[in-house]
Amino acid sequence: MGRRRAFDEDEVVRAAVGLFGGRAYDGVSVDDLVNHLGVHRNSLYKTFGSKRGLYLIALRRHVVDDVRPLVDALATATDAAAVLGLITSADLGLLLLAAVERAPADEEVAEVVAAALAAVDQSIADALGIPTELAAALTAAALGIRLRGNPEGVGVALTRRLDPLG
Amino acid sequence: MALVHIDGDDLVVVMEGLDKLWALKSSLTIPLANVRGATEDPGISAEPKGIRAPGSHVPGVITAGTFHLDGEKVFWDVKDPSKAVVIELADERYSRLVVQVEDPRATVALVENALR
Repeated sequence: MGRRRAFDEDEVVRAAVGLFGGRAYDGVSVDDLVNHLGVHRNSLYKTFGSKRGLYLIALRRHVVDDVRPLVDALATATDAAAVLGLITSADLGLLLLAAVERAPADEEVAEVVAAALAAVDQSIADALGIPTELAAALTAAALGIRLRGNPEGVGVALTRRLDPLG
Repeated sequence: MALVHIDGDDLVVVMEGLDKLWALKSSLTIPLANVRGATEDPGISAEPKGIRAPGSHVPGVITAGTFHLDGEKVFWDVKDPSKAVVIELADERYSRLVVQVEDPRATVALVENALR
């Protein structure tokens, strides 16, 4: 629309990824956005339309900035242990929160989350030469382990049983 | 208080009771194509609203009518800021509507769902 903006939209979206990823959607008010992103309320509405509008853009940005690198790294994984290591150490804060909090209530969020996880599954399947269903099971296990705070020995116990997978 | 509902391809905002007097408007009909989104925003009432014309502004009691801020026209109908919803518009007389509704969360969901 060719509007002149007094702020760096890219920076604002990146900061929103951190805010939504750290506090969840419902935990971030417009006041929080105004205070933390350094953008006037009017500009926020004019640029993104709504809080949900900004959230969707931030979520897609998170996929490009944080999930894509994971997908690329997984392409070089040689066994289940490597896959688990990569997934449990990646920055997936907003994706995981979105999957739990917003995806059940928001189809568009659900689609973005599903597509991101499908890309992770596919990368694992291709790297290890296994069916995508098995890759999805591995992703699910890795995310579960991650949600439980990556307790010591759990990943190793699983991969000792799994490898070699191919 | 305002009632927000969807009627076909339009978003309709109806001012209730005496609010239609304060706001000098009983209802607004906006094509959904010109609605960009809706957001719960209890904090917006604390910000400068600009210059009122026409309508009523009794600080701490009611903000209703047309306000001019930074070259934009904003329609207000809010008594209780905790129930304020912001509806952002495009290509309309108003840049945005700030209205008080009974259930802000439900209203936001209604509008956002209608836009998908």
